[in-house]
Order: sequence, then C-alpha cells, then structure tokens
Amino acid sequence: MNKYDVIVIGGGHAGVEAADACSRFGVKTLLITHDKSKTGEMSCNPAIGGIGKSHLAKEVDALGGLMARAADKAGIHYRVLNSTKGQAVRATRVQTDRDLYKAAIQDFLSSSPNLTIKEGSVVDLDIKNSTIKSVITEKGEKIFSNSVILTTGTFLGGVMHTGLEQSSGGRIGDPSSDKLAQKLRGLSLKVGRLKTGTPPRLNKHSIDWSLLSPQPGDTPTPLLSYTSQASERPEQLNCYMTRTNQKTHQVILNHLDESPMYSGLIEGVGPRYCPSIEDKVMRFSERDSHQIFAEPEGLNSDLIYPNGISTSLPLKAQKELIKSIKGFENAKIVRPGYAIEYDFFDPTGLKHSLETKTISGLFFAGQINGTTGYEEAAAQGIVAGINASLRATNQEAFELQRDEAYIGVLIDDLVSLGTKEPYRMFTSRAEYRLILREDNADMRLTEKGRKLGIVSDLLWQKYQDKRDATNKEILRLKKDKLKPNTPEAKKIKKQTGEGISSNISLFEILKRPKVLHSHLPKGEITLAPNAVDEIEASIKYEGYIKRQKIDIERLQRNENTPIPKHINYEKVVGLSNEVKQKLSEARPESLARASRLPGVTPAAISLLMIYLKKERKAVG
Amino acid sequence: MSKNRTIIAPATVPGRGGVSIIRMSGKLSKSIAESMCGELADAWRFKRCSIKSRGGSKIDDGMVVFFKSPNSYTGDDVVEFHCHGNPTIVNLVIEEAVDLGAVVAEPGEFTKTAFLNEKIDLVQAESVADLINAQSKTAVVAANSSLSGEFSEQISFLLDGIVKARVVVEANIDFPEEEIDVSVLESVKEELQDFHAEINELLSRVKEGVKLRDGYSVAIVGPPNAGKSSLLNLLAKEELAITSKVPGTTRDLVKTSVNIGGVLIEFVDTAGVRHDPEGPIEEQGIQRSKEVIKKSNLCLLVQDATTVQGFDVGLGDFLTVLNKSDLLEGRFSNTDNTFYLSCSTGQGVEELLKALIARLGIDEGEETVFLSRQRHEISLRSGGLFLEEAIMSLSEGQVLELVAESLRSAHSALGDIIRPMSADDLLGEIFSEFCIGK
Ligand SMILES: Cc1cc2nc3c(=O)[nH]c(=O)nc-3n(C[C@H](O)[C@H](O)[C@H](O)COP(=O)(O)OP(=O)(O)OC[C@H]3O[C@@H](n4cnc5c(N)ncnc54)[C@H](O)[C@@H]3O)c2cc1C
Ligand SMILES: Nc1nc2c(ncn2[C@@H]2O[C@H](COP(=O)(O)OP(=O)(O)OP(=O)(O)O)[C@@H](O)[C@H]2O)c(=O)[nH]1
Ligand SMILES: [Mg+2]
Repeated sequence: MNKYDVIVIGGGHAGVEAADACSRFGVKTLLITHDKSKTGEMSCNPAIGGIGKSHLAKEVDALGGLMARAADKAGIHYRVLNSTKGQAVRATRVQTDRDLYKAAIQDFLSSSPNLTIKEGSVVDLDIKNSTIKSVITEKGEKIFSNSVILTTGTFLGGVMHTGLEQSSGGRIGDPSSDKLAQKLRGLSLKVGRLKTGTPPRLNKHSIDWSLLSPQPGDTPTPLLSYTSQASERPEQLNCYMTRTNQKTHQVILNHLDESPMYSGLIEGVGPRYCPSIEDKVMRFSERDSHQIFAEPEGLNSDLIYPNGISTSLPLKAQKELIKSIKGFENAKIVRPGYAIEYDFFDPTGLKHSLETKTISGLFFAGQINGTTGYEEAAAQGIVAGINASLRATNQEAFELQRDEAYIGVLIDDLVSLGTKEPYRMFTSRAEYRLILREDNADMRLTEKGRKLGIVSDLLWQKYQDKRDATNKEILRLKKDKLKPNTPEAKKIKKQTGEGISSNISLFEILKRPKVLHSHLPKGEITLAPNAVDEIEASIKYEGYIKRQKIDIERLQRNENTPIPKHINYEKVVGLSNEVKQKLSEARPESLARASRLPGVTPAAISLLMIYLKKERKAVG
Repeated sequence: MSKNRTIIAPATVPGRGGVSIIRMSGKLSKSIAESMCGELADAWRFKRCSIKSRGGSKIDDGMVVFFKSPNSYTGDDVVEFHCHGNPTIVNLVIEEAVDLGAVVAEPGEFTKTAFLNEKIDLVQAESVADLINAQSKTAVVAANSSLSGEFSEQISFLLDGIVKARVVVEANIDFPEEEIDVSVLESVKEELQDFHAEINELLSRVKEGVKLRDGYSVAIVGPPNAGKSSLLNLLAKEELAITSKVPGTTRDLVKTSVNIGGVLIEFVDTAGVRHDPEGPIEEQGIQRSKEVIKKSNLCLLVQDATTVQGFDVGLGDFLTVLNKSDLLEGRFSNTDNTFYLSCSTGQGVEELLKALIARLGIDEGEETVFLSRQRHEISLRSGGLFLEEAIMSLSEGQVLELVAESLRSAHSALGDIIRPMSADDLLGEIFSEFCIGK
C-alpha cells in the first residue's frame, strides 16, 4: 500500500534535512517535490553561513545533518567573519558553487537508507478529526501517513514582482503552489504575507574586473562541517568589491514611482535587515555610497551575484542602475532582480516540536513559518524530521532549549513570539551567546543526536576524539606549572607582554586576555583548531559563563514545569484579563515559556505556578 | 526543597523602634549568616552576636537563629537576624547578605516558597494567590510612587544611553561587514564612564531618600490651651510636657517617639498659635511651630471642643482633634477628618490613632514600598557594576562580545526598574541606526 511513516513535502533546505533525518532515524520516509533535479536548490545567493547562520549550520551538522557537509563539497570562497573578535561571535561564511551544492545534497539523499524521493506536486491534504491522514498529488494519487512535514518555502501563493509587472511563481522558473495554499488557507491556521527580494544577476564576462578590488578567501581555509576533509573542497576563487555612487542613487530616486514597494503594490512585510537598494537610498539618504560584493555563483557559472543591490525596480531602471556602478559600466543583466510575496503561517500556532497545535501529525518547517535563509530552514527541517520520526514511533518530542543551541533560540522565538517580518538569526537574539559557539556545537549536540540514532559513526568518533583530547589537554594545563625566568616564561613575556612572577599553572596563564593557547609550551596531544578554540573560550569566558549558568539554572525549574494542555486560564485566581487572553491564545507548554510571552508578568507566573501545584495535588 | 535563590527581606514592618527581624531563606542562608555572625548556634537556638560586614566593621549587636530545613517557615534553610529597629541597620544587614549572594525577595516570595514546599496546606492556597495578587498590585503603585518624576526620568535617560551603546556594540558584532565606524567605540567608552558616574550619584541620592522616608513625624498644633501638651503626654504615657491652665505654656518644641502598631512615629508638641503673642519668646515659639508643620508628614490640629477657634496657619495634611470632649453635653460623633477626644479620660484615642495610621499610609503596602525601593537600589548597584565591567573590557583591548554581555546585564538590571526590552526591539534599533543588509 501507498503508506509511509513520514511524508515530507518540498525538497528545499528544510525538506532535505527533514527527509534525511527521518531516514537516518530509521523510519520509512517519502520526499515529494516538484522537480527532483532542483532538490537542494538555493533560491538566492549561493552562500552558507555568516554570523548567527553558521552557528545554525554547525548545529545541524553536529546532529548529523547535510548542510555543512554539502557546503564543504561546494565551497569556493571561505571567510571567518569577526576573526579579530572572540570565539563566541566568530562565524564562517562559505560562498558555494550552486550546482556542486545541489549535486552534493542529491548525492547524500540518494544513499540515504530509508528514503524514497518522488516527483510531484501536492495539491491537497486529507485531515480527519483534526489529524492528518494522507496527502494528494496533482495526479490524484493518495499517499498515506500519520506524520507529514510541510516545507514548501516561498511557494504558497507566491507572487513575483519586477517593476509594476507581476506573475505567479514560487521562485524564478518555478510554479507557485496555489491549490495547496488555498487548502491551507481554509484550515484553522493563521496566515500572513511576507516578501523578500533578490538582485539582478550579471554576466561574468561583461564586468571590468580590473576596476573592482579583489577579496581573497581566508588562509588557512576553514571547513564548515565537523567531519569534512580539506581534500573534499573544490578550487578556491576570489570575490570582488565595488560601490554604488551618487549617480546610482539618482537613478533610483528617478524611478521610485515604478517600484512595487513604494507604489504600494506589495502588501507583504519585508525584513528590516535586508533592505532593497531602494530602501537603503531612501532611509539612509546621508550615505553617498553603499558597498557591493560581486560573488561568483560557481566555478563554471557565468553568473555573478551582486550582493547589496537587491531591487524590484523595472528592468529598464535596473539596467541604468547597474551601468552607473564602477566596473559594471558594460555589465549585462542575465536575469533581472525581483521581489516575491508569499503566504506564511503564524508560527505561534506551532508547538516547540514544530507540529501544528491544531492538526495532529502535521508539521511545518522552513520559510513557511516566517523565517528566511537556508540555515534557518535547515535547522527547522532537522527538528521537524526528528519529531515526525519520534511521533511515528510513539515517542516523546525532542526539543532544544535556548541555552543549548541557536536552534532552540530560533524555534522558541518563533513559537513564543511569532514574527512580523522574515525572521533571520542574529547572535544578539541569543542571551547565552558566550555558551553557543561555533567551536562547541558538537559538544552541545552530538551526544543528543547519537541517542536519537541520527549521528553517523564517523561524526561520533570525531566527537569522542575531540572530547577526550580537550579533557586531557585541560588536565595538562591545570597540572603543568610555569616557573619565572625560564625560557618558556620569557617567551610568553616577549609575545604577550604578560610577566610571570611566581609558579603558576598554564591554565591560570591562559586566563589572561592577551595569552593564547599557542603561546604556551606544547603538550603531546594534537588538537584540532576548533578544540583549541573550545579550550580558550571556555577558559576566557569562564566568569561570564558561570553567571549565565546561574541564570539558566533559575529558568530550568520553570522550564521543567509543564502546563497541562487543557488548562482553563479563567480558573486561575488573580490573573488579569489581558494575561488570561494571552495565555489562552498562546497555550505555552511550560512555565518558562509562559514567562517569555510579552505582557506576562512575574506575578502572573507566580499565580500560575500556585494554581498548577494545587491542581497537581488535587489529582495526585 | 527549592534549590534556587536565597532570598532576604525584613520580616517586621520597617521603622525606628524596638527590634527588627530580617529573614533569609534558601540554600546559602547558613553560610551567609556565618560569614556575617561567625559560627551559628545549634538549629532553633538563638545566639548573641555582632553582625559584621566583610570589611570587619560592626553593623550591629543582635541575635541570630538558624531554622534547619524542612522545619522552618519556608521549608528551606532559614536564618533570622534580630537587630535594632533602625532602618539604616536593616539596610546594611540586607546589603551585606546580598553581597554574599542573597537576593531581595519579591513581594510574597517567602509565602510562595512556603507554599511550594508544602508548608502551607491546600486550603490556604487561594488566599496565598490573593495575597500575591494584591501585593503585586501595591507593588506597582509603590514602584510608581517611589519612582515618581525625576528618578525615573534619570533611569530612563541612562537606559536610553545604554541602549545606544548596545546598538553600536551589537551592530559591530552582528554586522562586521557593514562599514560601521569603529571609532564610535571610543566615544561609547567615554559615555559609559559618564553613565557610571551618574549611577553612583543616583545611588547616593536613593540612599538619602530611603532615610528621609523611613520615619514619620506628626506635629501637634492648635490654639493655646487646647490641650496639645496633654495629648503628647497621653501618647507618651509619661508627663513629658508641662501642662497648665495658662495659655502659652509651651514655648519649646517637645518631641517624643511612640511605637504605634510596630511603626515608630515622632510626635512634636508645639507652642499654641494666637494672633497676639505675648512677648518675643512666645513669638519665636510660634515661628518654630510653623517650621515643624512644614517638615511633618501630618498635623493634628487640636481644638478645645467647647470653644473652637479659627486657626489660620497653613497646614499640609491634617486631622482635627476636638479635645476636652468630657466637658461636652449631648451626643457627638467623629467624621473622616474630625475626632473627639478627652485627654483627661483617654476616650477617643484609639480611633484617632487608627485614623492617623491610615492617613500616613502605613499598611501592608508600606512593606512593598520599602522592598521595592530596596530592590531599585540593588538593581542600580548591579547596573553600575556591570557598566564598570563593560568599561574595563573596552579598555582591555576591546573584547567586544564581553562588553556586549556586560551591557546586556546592565541593561536588564536597570530595565527591571522601569522598562525591559526584548532582543528584537534592540535589533530594531540597530536597523534604524545603521544601513544593514544585502
Ligand atoms: C527571491 C528570493 C530571495 C531570497 N533572498 C534571500 C536572501 O537574501 N538571504 C537569505 O538568507 N535567504 C533568501 N531567500 C530565502 C531562502 O531561499 C529560503 O529561506 C530558503 O530556501 C527556505 O527554504 P525552505 O526549505 O523553507 O523552502 P524552499 O527552499 O523555497 O523550498 C521549497 C521546496 O518545496 C517544493 N514545493 C513547494 N510546494 C510544493 C508542493 N505543493 N508539492 C511538492 N513540492 C513543493 C519546491 O519545489 C521547493 O523545492 C530568498 C528566497 C527567494 C525566493
Ligand atoms: N476637662 C479637660 N481638661 C483638659 C483636657 N485636656 C487638657 N485639659 C486641660 O486644659 C489645660 C491646658 O492644657 P495644655 O495641655 O497645657 O494645653 P496646650 O494646648 O498645651 O496649651 P499651650 O501650651 O499653652 O498652648 C490644662 O489645664 C489641662 O489640664 C481634657 O480632655 N479635658
Ligand atoms: Mg502646651
């Protein structure tokens, strides 16, 4: 029979992680997507990582996910952002070859053990008694499953805008999913509209590269995944930089009335942080220039992605605009920039497991939840995949807390607060930023992943080796002492200016801000660069981390106090009507989550706590 | 038992007088008390001791008793300090304990802890909920009143400044590619130093504020011979002031502090005021009466009930006392502002005192005013410390993520006083300040 443990709809970044996680978990999984050859397609700039985002990508990797491994097989330009700052805020960014990336993802999926991939378009869902039963394709085929993950990205009711022209579509060259959108709009879920945009693509050979300044990648070249080898990486390329100027800005002002955003044609809300060049010129009129990165789309691709000039002006204006820029005087637009509007579902309608609150067995992940970005999509995909598998096998949901992972921050923000704009990760969203680092995503998550059965032997081995090596090294640092006036002490003084006046352990010396691990006498253990980072960070941040741990402990108790599903907030004595209403709508799953809802005061939490305690006693 | 915070607060209504009890509950109670008082006696036994600060200076001589979990008020380890009933001492003891790791309790937190540890039976649950609810309401009122005007404006100003600093620092972290001018970090440091100085000044003012408001003073005023001195003597239960039939007996101020329902109130007897004072001495006395009126929280305008006279000295808040009611014939009854009294028989004094307490606003709410003020002080103090930490990190070669962490903590400490801000609000500020995005 046509029945699967889990069905994933959509082969984007959320969908592929979800499908692969289910398959690794060991449940029979089906991935349905429009076009197999576009599985793992990057709709926009082919870059993975960046601040906050690389943290997500590494966390997905630490749980055995695909994204970072695929990025390393396709990475043609690596940089570590914030490299002069501390470990907590350093972030790797990889420019990838779009085709290699897609190929790597498809390659991984083809060897995924329990996965079937099917080409098709889902047009309807069969829901009975508020429970998902099956999905129906455009050919009328009915496929059954009790757990369905919807990862349809920007495709639901997608409308693309270039100038005042609009057309329906999920992204350039792909149809939108209108029938499914209609079906979903009829369900008890809150729908909203968001928009995002992309710049025009330029032909590589039409740019005068001699006028642009090159921006080489970092050496030594980092890797994104904990398990990748340097040998898997393709050849490395440069990126280039140029700038807009007064003339560019004048062109934009002249054509503003033809912009769908400024003429009021687009009703969806765009992100505050990723403004189109129109926005930038209007909002920051005092700046006479904005930077543009010219990024290659791939090793053999003729396309250049001019990062920084996302626009939805009409093609004629886009041509003028490009011409005004240094080095782009004769550049040819291969594909115009456009803005896209699409449906998303208010994520406060979801549980932390990403299952919808109202329809059992139906999970949402990715852009459909109001996020933007590949990494954000992948992070939700893997969590939805894990939880759909757990549901299929009658097990309790898997959740990550805010102090455990950026994934936890992402999902908790979405589910507790909802979003009014496309949600993107930033490190400033994480209150435990010093704990959630690139260098320790594996230390935070790999054991959890292994327990779930989704971590490969290779990753597990690497994790254990790193864990053992860092523990040994820390022991050594604590045990080995440095004496004043020895050659080693003199060397440290010379390199860092830090004098050593009495016998002191290497561990204590490393606490000093200017001293790095590399300044200390070497031990016998060979350490990977991210192990060194982890050691340095945990020592240098020690005091701050202790403070954060106290905070976390305080929250933990509330985190562990569940609120029963069917609680009647009217019965809780003393709550204001406003708070009652907020809680009744949001239906938080624990006290801690209730406390993070806007407008819910500490006093209200106390009242709730007392009520719960009383109820439990009355029952037990 | 609850493994979380160790909380502390006065267990008696504050005021100068008698003994003040300060209660501390939680895991750290015993060790904090031992660092302040030396080794404690066996559980449930009092020990006489000097309460000392970590610097070694003596705060007070008093007694300390340790209640071992679970046989205590809250069910956790509890320590009670019994010290002299002076608000400054109470403050110092609490501050010391806070420095050692305790936190000032939320309104109703002791009761709540007791409830959660199942020290209070279920029947009482609803009333506990009511209590917390009521207290959190008065806490709001209290917070507003203790924060009115200037103080909250200043906190607001500081918060705006800290937000601006955070915007620069966070933008530098989250958007390193966005050409944000790094030199602004220098000016951030200077501004933070200014804010830090500002906090210290605010702190010293808050401390003074605490002292100013901790006692109550009531002036006894009225025409000569009405029985003002007699009232003072009645309240003091002692012949402190000379009384006589001769009008203009009292010339000097006579003060006495009386403990009324646990609150210490200072009463000041004044010279009777009349239009044609006899000689310069009486005139001076009247002048002083007027000054006392200005400084007091409330006046009792004493009149001879048989011959009520006009009294045209401006009074702030006042109650009228119609004295010598024993001489009246027929029926008489009190109103909201007028009270019949006989100093000779003592009749009517209870009712007068009840009205007086109510009018001074000394009720349950007062505890929360006191506590919330104290919490503000502590928030300010930790805000100041976090700023100091941020300034230090900025000086030490700019470990930006640590600067950011200290600023976040400073922001949340001060934000607790008036308005918390979410991470998303902060991002909004960043986006409006800098041109960010691709
Ligand atoms: C124009 C544009 C500009 C963007 N700009 C940026 C940017 O600057 N920065 C950034 O970080 N992110 C950007 N993004 C967002 C980024 O592309 C997405 O956040 C990310 O791809 C979302 O992943 P997803 O898995 O949720 O959905 P998608 O990657 O959109 O994948 C959805 C998949 O579902 C399939 N599908 C849809 N409906 C059905 C159906 N009914 N049946 C079967 N299959 C279906 C589609 O074929 C597709 O494979 C942009 C996106 C677009 C379109
Ligand atoms: N019958 C009666 N006599 C009272 C009462 N209270 C006071 N007296 C008498 O009234 C006289 C004046 O009392 P004081 O207390 O000295 O009056 P005072 O208001 O302090 O007067 P000055 O100090 O002169 O302003 C004294 O003789 C008291 O004994 C009362 O309640 N009943
Ligand atoms: Mg007198």
